[in-house]
Amino acid sequence: MKINYKILAVLLVVSAMSCKKLDQEPLNLLSSSALTEYDGVLNAAYYYQLGAVTPMAVMGDFRADNAYMEEAPFDDFDKFTPGLTSQENQFFGPFYTALYKSILSANNVIDNSTNANQVAEAKFLRGLSYFKLVQVFGDVTVNLLSEPDISDLTALERQAASTVYNTVIIPDLTDAMNGLSATIKNGRASKYAAQGILGKVYMHMGNFSMAQTHLAAVVSGAGGAGISLQANFADIFGESNDLNSEIIFATQVSSSIVDEYGFSEFWSWSGGLDTKSLTPLDPSKGPTIIAAFNANVGDLRTAVSVDTVTFGSPKFPQTGGPDHDWIELRLADVILLLAEALNETTNASGANSVSILTSLDAIRTRANLSSLSGTAISQADVREAIANERRLELAFEGHRWFDLVRTGKVDAAMGTTVNSNYHLFPIPVSEILASFNTITQNPGY
Amino acid sequence: MKIKNYFLLLIPFLFNFSLFAQEVTGTVSDQNGTIPGANIIVSGSKAGTVTDINGAYKINANNGDTLKFSYLGYITQMIPVTGQSTINVILIEDAELIDEYVVVGYGTRKKSHNTGAISQVEGKDLAAIQANRADEALAGKLAGVLIQNQDGEPGADPKIQVRAASSISGNSNPLIVVDGFPISGSLATVNPNDIESMEVLKDAASAAIYGSRGANGVILVTTKTGTAGKPTVSYNTFVSTSKRYNKENINMTAGEWASTIEANIADGTFDVSEMDRTLLDYRINAYANAPDVVAVEDWMFNNGTTMNHDVAIGGSTKNVNYRASLGYLNTEGIVLDQGFEKYNARLNLNANLSEKLSAGFTINGFMSDREMLGHDMRDLLRSYSIHPIYHTDASIAYVQQLDQQAQALGYTAFDAGFRGGTDAPWNSSIYTLEPGMSAQDWHYGRSGNGIGGSGDAGPATKLDNTERWQKTLYGNFNSYLQYELTESLTLRTALGGDMRDTKDFFWRGLEFDSRARSTQTALNQTDLKRSSVLSETTLGYSKVFNDKHDVAGIVGAEFQNFFINGTALAGTNVPYGLPANFGLLEPADISVSERRETIVRRSIFGRINYAFDDRYLASVSLRRDGDSRFGKNNRFKTFPAVSVGWNIHNEAFFNSEKLTAFKVRFSRGTLGTTAFLGAYNSLSLLSPQATIFGTGFTIPSDISNPDLTWQTNTETNYGINLGFLQNRFTFGIDYYTSDIDDMLINQSVSEVFGTTAVKLNSADVRSSGIELELTGVIISNSDFTWRVGANYSTVNTEITGLGNLDELPAVQYGQSGRGPVFRNYIGGQIGEMWGIETTGEVEMKYMSDPTEYIGKQSGYSYAVDQNGDGVIDRTKTVAEGGDLVKIGQNTPDFYWGLFTQVAYKRFDLSMQFQGASGGEVYNIDPLYYGSQWGRSLTSGFDADSDGIADHNDKHYVRNRDQTDALIQSASYFALRNITLGYTVSPNFIKKAGFSSARVYVASTNLLYIMGGDYTSYNPEGVEITNSGYAGPTTYGVQVGASPIVRSFTFGVNANF
Repeated sequence: MKINYKILAVLLVVSAMSCKKLDQEPLNLLSSSALTEYDGVLNAAYYYQLGAVTPMAVMGDFRADNAYMEEAPFDDFDKFTPGLTSQENQFFGPFYTALYKSILSANNVIDNSTNANQVAEAKFLRGLSYFKLVQVFGDVTVNLLSEPDISDLTALERQAASTVYNTVIIPDLTDAMNGLSATIKNGRASKYAAQGILGKVYMHMGNFSMAQTHLAAVVSGAGGAGISLQANFADIFGESNDLNSEIIFATQVSSSIVDEYGFSEFWSWSGGLDTKSLTPLDPSKGPTIIAAFNANVGDLRTAVSVDTVTFGSPKFPQTGGPDHDWIELRLADVILLLAEALNETTNASGANSVSILTSLDAIRTRANLSSLSGTAISQADVREAIANERRLELAFEGHRWFDLVRTGKVDAAMGTTVNSNYHLFPIPVSEILASFNTITQNPGY
Repeated sequence: MKIKNYFLLLIPFLFNFSLFAQEVTGTVSDQNGTIPGANIIVSGSKAGTVTDINGAYKINANNGDTLKFSYLGYITQMIPVTGQSTINVILIEDAELIDEYVVVGYGTRKKSHNTGAISQVEGKDLAAIQANRADEALAGKLAGVLIQNQDGEPGADPKIQVRAASSISGNSNPLIVVDGFPISGSLATVNPNDIESMEVLKDAASAAIYGSRGANGVILVTTKTGTAGKPTVSYNTFVSTSKRYNKENINMTAGEWASTIEANIADGTFDVSEMDRTLLDYRINAYANAPDVVAVEDWMFNNGTTMNHDVAIGGSTKNVNYRASLGYLNTEGIVLDQGFEKYNARLNLNANLSEKLSAGFTINGFMSDREMLGHDMRDLLRSYSIHPIYHTDASIAYVQQLDQQAQALGYTAFDAGFRGGTDAPWNSSIYTLEPGMSAQDWHYGRSGNGIGGSGDAGPATKLDNTERWQKTLYGNFNSYLQYELTESLTLRTALGGDMRDTKDFFWRGLEFDSRARSTQTALNQTDLKRSSVLSETTLGYSKVFNDKHDVAGIVGAEFQNFFINGTALAGTNVPYGLPANFGLLEPADISVSERRETIVRRSIFGRINYAFDDRYLASVSLRRDGDSRFGKNNRFKTFPAVSVGWNIHNEAFFNSEKLTAFKVRFSRGTLGTTAFLGAYNSLSLLSPQATIFGTGFTIPSDISNPDLTWQTNTETNYGINLGFLQNRFTFGIDYYTSDIDDMLINQSVSEVFGTTAVKLNSADVRSSGIELELTGVIISNSDFTWRVGANYSTVNTEITGLGNLDELPAVQYGQSGRGPVFRNYIGGQIGEMWGIETTGEVEMKYMSDPTEYIGKQSGYSYAVDQNGDGVIDRTKTVAEGGDLVKIGQNTPDFYWGLFTQVAYKRFDLSMQFQGASGGEVYNIDPLYYGSQWGRSLTSGFDADSDGIADHNDKHYVRNRDQTDALIQSASYFALRNITLGYTVSPNFIKKAGFSSARVYVASTNLLYIMGGDYTSYNPEGVEITNSGYAGPTTYGVQVGASPIVRSFTFGVNANF
């Protein structure tokens, strides 16, 4: 008996201390190191773009003179004070997080995938992400690694916007442009999506000649790639028109896919459907786009873009609304940008005003308006005419504020002197805290 | 003693040579009655018998034999046969067995030999007060054990923390061991009426034998076994009625607000000179005359009821002891939609299979159904009390009339507030309302219409279109086989398993959302099955040498595997008007995630206890644990512990009449813990996510870390126990220090890294505390006894190291960003709340429209620019050049309990007081209750928008922006329980077939005093369910906590 229990005890101790059993790995999950195909990671890079959609829509139109917020503290979007940090949780924070996650996923594809097309798509998404970040925050942290070292705080230091443009955004978009096919497949990134965004990037940098080169290439190549203006302005919008021929790139939205953001949908803000601002376009309460539309008698875009009774925008109709894509780039946007670039590079004397304004005829005609040709002679007037056209054409598509900042028209549009600190948005405070102030706040916040 | 007995035995031999067999009969009983199944053996022979159902026996014995009467739990009696034909025996309960032992890990130890910090509560103290659950009965009873109603919902587990928190990122719930089996359920799974006693192992040396699982302290629960002899049945029942403690509502009704407006305009508190007078008149009239108003709080908070039945049957036969019990409890909460129903069942069976072999098993089942509020209470209470809950004819006429008035004044029609879209399949106009339809906020307009609140669907619609519940099925089986190899050597093997099956359900219908967004609908169901198997084999040795050397040792090996299997279904675009069924959803709208996890733990351990002459005491233990959760390189670790004690009162030189016990103790031990780690946190895993282009692999939430390892806690405990006047008064004091090294933390990192936090072994925390326990029998005579017990505890924690950091990244946490800045830095406490210092609220007269929202708070405060740089900077502390100062911390400075029991004749009166002092909560509720956080300042208040008030040159900030304006005291003083019982006269009840009966009335929280500046319903409430919550480093935010409940109970305990 005694011998038996000793043996038993020894056996128990030996088996208790065997290490094998402690190697537990989940049977239903993949280890990140086990990846061989990177399409799933690329899908995630697309997916994370969803988190940037609503913040972009609100920053683009509610910060500017297109719409206003009714309820405190959301009305901080209409004030140029440090108080805007109150909107971090709903807007800048998720925006920031989503884009850096998209970037990290893209980095993983770029570093590891052997599929050239996947790499080119990833570069497009990375370039687009950084472009959005730079527009919103100015200088930003740059991470190009798929497995960054979390202990290296210096890597978090914000890089000058110009550096980010020159070393990340332009090379990435250029690689994407060269690596992607012109045909738009299933709404994924394509050659002209990359080139169009690249053109817009140069516009933001003030490099109009490079912008002109790329934007012109998109306009001339569009037809061959099946990209064309919709005959009817209203047909660009609405869920049933997602991925129509005018759309060069859109972040696809599906109500079935729950995005990490989850606060509100982009269309409900301009639509006056969020209780924080039920009449965002009411001109009696703040500067809104209503007056600009009213000035354009007969403009077919008016009824599509604004409801002058409820003071909300019906542009992204609520029926099927949760599935409405977020248009990142459409042909009309490129045409307007090209006209703007040409005006800057070729029209100092006003000699090309007619041809430049004529290039907008397709957009004007579709809106049931006569050609702008002849209505403006000087370069400055042409600039003004294009800007106004751009505002009406692209209302509530998240462009206005960034266009105003880009063209230096903030004060004129807002009718007040806005401290240039407030041209940018506040960095999420959580980032400053988590990086021990390595990531700094924008001045003024 | 023994030798004397032998002499006695010899006497008959010497003097009575007439050796002939005779029949002896008799009964065996105890003070309560006869005992069936008692053993009677003729000493030194194999002859024996047991008493029958009436306690009677019959045995043949020779004159001169000695009969040995024994029964489990009673002192064995030896009675020589000297010619008697009848021997009736009254067995006496072995008081030493019951009172003088404490249960320790894997065994028991004489109280006088105990060297650790162990607190004990006996069943009779638990039974003395009425409690719905065991942890509720424990609250305030023990020093060093803090039990608080963090949640307050019926069926929710309270926060239990033994000594200082052992983790700064995860919870610090203690291990619960029921009859030797560590369960994965909470104490809710144990019926309080089944509990014989509870011990809490507080110091590391005591808990060390449980290794890593004991790092948060161990609560050992010993359940009742069958009573001696024939089966007895006990039945307990009670009914309670309950109400929220605060009688007064926090929010004003519309009518009250109208009067407040008028009074404040009259006395100049409100300045309405810049307001449109017609609007003001319209608004006051609208608020003042609204018909059939029901205060939302009056509707949300009701009378609750609880009904409880418990029945237990227990007894024993010669070799088998059994007890079975069944419990049922049904609570309807005081908050609408809250309820809790549970069933408990337990069977304990212990049998002596032979003289040396014994075995037993326990089955415990628990089933509960918890109904929860389907929506955030804070948001429901935020709705204006301007309407009935469901429309009446009067309220319908009224909203239509208001709408006409508003439109005449040029405001938008109320119907414009309907955001459900043209295709919404329910009422979309205030002109088509019918009585009985839920009153929605937009029916009364919105601020754009001159009056009105959120414009939401309103509280009734929200609750009617949500459902949330949780069903739990818990089962625990454990068994043992024990063999006495020799008199002093025992081999025991135990095998057990438990299974906890939880199903969570949540539904939110389309109508919930005032905008009818199908993306806001939800149908979620989570099925999670956690099970574990445990095998534990120990070899125990126990022997007393020369009456002086008491040696006990144990070695063992333990295997435990945990399995977590679960599926979570999350549905969106839930169709309107159809039952909540996943089959009715589009397949693409259902996302499925699953968990399949295995955690393996292997341990060996050993312990030696030694006591010399009841004077010098020592205990040494060693345990080696391996756990699969850690990184490949660091899975095993060894944890030693040692403790010593000295019973000074047993020394020859010590001679005091008054001081009858005097023991000093010292212990030091090391424990490891897995803290909050899940099964695979050391691995970097891809989780699938549906995307527009097919399956995506999102960024892993963990970074692979093969070095992730045990967090070790080294604790040193100094204790003194004193007993006075034959230990009628006892006093215990413990002082401990605890050093946690390699603490597992969730360290926030920049989002650039794709995750919010990483798990590291990097913090060192030092804690210390003092615990006092006092018991006394103040009066003791046959008619009147008065006992008191009191305890007092302090806890101090200090972060002493953070790897290569001086401070963890600060985290700003709270609902929708309305939280303080949580700082955790070397030299500071865990989870300090930092923010902006304020010096009073901005006066209502600076509000551009003070009447706009119901609630008399501006929502702004004057702020202190600490460094005078003209900017209020919430990202840096004063030392770093910003303006953050420490504004609070949730851990109380001290907490205490006081128990008193008076028994007079047949009456008994028990009271349990509890309190905590020195902690704070960051209470977000006032933001909603006071100002709806939406008021605007007059344009002249700060004309140049520089953040400085023009009238007094002070900085001002919103209260919500990390200020001390939301810091409130979390201190409280509570009469947790008062119970008055009456034991019915036995003569009276014998006729009815009872052996004993007691009736009682009780009240919980009869008195509850909150800190002076606290304004909500429950100062103990802390929000921990928000996604940003990161454990104790971010503990202390309160959002709409369920109220403190005051209840009155009538109950009966009866035994048959």
